[in-house]
Amino acid sequence: MRRTGLRYLPLLLLAIAWELLARLELISSSALPPLSHVVVAWVDLMRSGELVSNGYASIYRAMTGLGLSVLVGSLLGIFMAWWRPLNAFLSPLVEIFYPMPKSALIPVTVIWLGFGDGSKILLIFLGCMLPVTIGAFNGARSSEQALVWSARSMGASRLRMLWDVVLPSALPELLNGIRTALALSFILLVSSELIVARSGFGYLIGFLGADGAYEPMFAVVLTVAFLGFAADRAFQAFMNWMLRWRT
Amino acid sequence: MAHVTGVRDRTSRGWRNAPASPFVARIGWGLARSASIVLLLAGWEILARSGTFTPFVLPALTSVLERILADAMSGDLFLGASATLYRALTGFLIAAVGGISLGMAMTRSIGIRWFFDPIISVGFPMPKIAFLPVVILWLGLYDVSKISMVAFEAIFPVVTATIVGIKGVDREIIWSARNMGASNRELLCQIMLPAAFPQIMTGLQVALPISLIVAIVTEMLMGGNGLGGGMMSASRFADSPGVFAGIVEIAAIGYCLIKGMSMLRRRMLLWHQEALEPSTV
Amino acid sequence: MSASAQIVVKDVSHDYRPPVGRVVRALEDVSLSIREREFIALLGPSGCGKSTLLYLIGGFLRIENGRICVDGRAVTAPGPDRGVVFQHFALFPWKTVKGNVLYGLERGKLPRAERETRAQAFIDLVGLTGFEDSYPSQLSGGMKQRTAIARTLAFDPQILLMDEPFGALDAQTRSLMQTELLDIWQKTRKTVIFVTHDVQEAVYLAERVAVMTARPGRIKTIVDTAFDKNDPQIYRARTFVDKVDEIWGLVREEAIKAQGTHAR
Repeated sequence: MRRTGLRYLPLLLLAIAWELLARLELISSSALPPLSHVVVAWVDLMRSGELVSNGYASIYRAMTGLGLSVLVGSLLGIFMAWWRPLNAFLSPLVEIFYPMPKSALIPVTVIWLGFGDGSKILLIFLGCMLPVTIGAFNGARSSEQALVWSARSMGASRLRMLWDVVLPSALPELLNGIRTALALSFILLVSSELIVARSGFGYLIGFLGADGAYEPMFAVVLTVAFLGFAADRAFQAFMNWMLRWRT
Repeated sequence: MAHVTGVRDRTSRGWRNAPASPFVARIGWGLARSASIVLLLAGWEILARSGTFTPFVLPALTSVLERILADAMSGDLFLGASATLYRALTGFLIAAVGGISLGMAMTRSIGIRWFFDPIISVGFPMPKIAFLPVVILWLGLYDVSKISMVAFEAIFPVVTATIVGIKGVDREIIWSARNMGASNRELLCQIMLPAAFPQIMTGLQVALPISLIVAIVTEMLMGGNGLGGGMMSASRFADSPGVFAGIVEIAAIGYCLIKGMSMLRRRMLLWHQEALEPSTV
Repeated sequence: MSASAQIVVKDVSHDYRPPVGRVVRALEDVSLSIREREFIALLGPSGCGKSTLLYLIGGFLRIENGRICVDGRAVTAPGPDRGVVFQHFALFPWKTVKGNVLYGLERGKLPRAERETRAQAFIDLVGLTGFEDSYPSQLSGGMKQRTAIARTLAFDPQILLMDEPFGALDAQTRSLMQTELLDIWQKTRKTVIFVTHDVQEAVYLAERVAVMTARPGRIKTIVDTAFDKNDPQIYRARTFVDKVDEIWGLVREEAIKAQGTHAR
């Protein structure tokens, strides 16, 4: 307990420094409102329900887009590793689209699906799919020949093997790919909401900022940052649990 | 060839028995490999011309190519691309230099490690892009704030990779260097950094695409020339060939940069057997 | 002899095609008959194709030239009549010891409770009682190989194909495992094809040793090595030592030849 306290002490120090800098007017309070005011503003936002309703919109978009990309991406990656013609056909496309800076898709998804949820979900789906695909592909590719042979000699059919051997072998790299995609989904979500949206965290940040309401704006920014961090930690715990056989 | 994507090619470790591949089969595979791209492009053109979608939703490939050509002739493409590249690469360089230095400092001094460790480990998974309005508030709308945002997002993977790399240096290598009388400074410059370099390079390869993504987002939000800003104003004027041209241009630049980076890696890491490619954003 | 032969390998040749580089002939005109319940060792210098022959019998590689029959039927695919034990264990790392042993039983027709007891029985047989719920990454090399052997024995194949099963173990564990394998073989009486490059191991374990030539692999000779397996002092017996020497001489010739071709 004390050790974790000591470990995270620097964050507390930063928070205190923030408060002091703002209180002592070393930085103008319009540029950096005191942390305590930000906390008060956060409570107000929670009370008014603004944070919750916008947060719900954002999380719904991120989860749907990410869920779709995990589903499609992992199937695609595993089948690419499993069936060579599919790999030959698709890998050039993957190779071309993978390095593309995904934020370039923001205006196009808006053209296709407008300002609402659909365009964000599509953006996150498209942006997050390839890291998952590549994780699944590399993972499935690396499944050991001897394991496949063992399963075959114990009577597993080829399709059965996909589930029994290839998927579990692919899991470590697949989960890593999903973790990358999770971080990416937050970036894409917030960017697209900052640029064009009528609800969501990004919209709220932009709206409050344009209004000059910096205290609630900081509150929302910190909330998003914390959620991104918490989501990653939760996923990491999930990963460790899934891969508990690795010690 | 081309391992940027991490799609490693057929290797002997594949878990299926690869059938023999005589000459004819090889041509077949080659065709299959180019087929997807040809199909994609042809499908785009045919779908756009068929009238299934309005030209606003899906402009024809040819009109997009015309637009790119026009942009290139007028010099707009060059101006936009250089503005975007300037922001992305300056931010990336700051992140690289700053990240490697900070990472090294953190492995060498307990105090620095104590202070920065929680900041890095909490900050890495955060969507730093959410701080963009704050950065605008502090630094304004011009290049300084764009570059700062890029560096802010890109520095985290570099720091983490540097620390992992230096910590992972083989104990026996360090001991044998000490044994041969290396000083602390020599140890750092001649042993630790080269040995950690593959990891650091991996961190840089993660940071580069992030830099591009962030540079483009900042341009979309704050305007200013640059490919992202260009796409945004095109979309505001409902000029969809302009938007699609922007995507193609940005994709091409991203592709070249990232290809270049992995070529650089292979050139610099000749001594490193398994030049493992990262799976990046 | 052919009347009682369980496994017949007839004129089998096999080419290895690496992803890059030229085709290598791994096996050439190999013929071999193996009786039911026999323990035969395939012995030869590294790269002589002994593992390839084992994989062909297992049905993992396609038989391109010649034919292999098991119980009168041509081999076309892997099947539960031929259990394999690999050098690096090939345990499913995401399954526990028990999960691994159960895997081969899951496709059988046994009811669930019976599968459990059967798995437990074989875990006990190889001396892993108490480690049922450990993951392979928590086990030592010897324990991993015991798990792999239990897994293979549990689904009751008539034939055991063992690919240098003790090659990755340290010397002490190795000699313990050899004794244990003989013990198990005498209890269960399966046909065993045992690939190794350790002459003493081959002479000690097998009833016949097939010595293979350097690449391309052929059967050089087959030597009878039936000693009294229950004699713990057999290592020191004059006849045993002579047999090891004799076979060692044959293998040495091939190993030197193999190096010569590499140098060229």
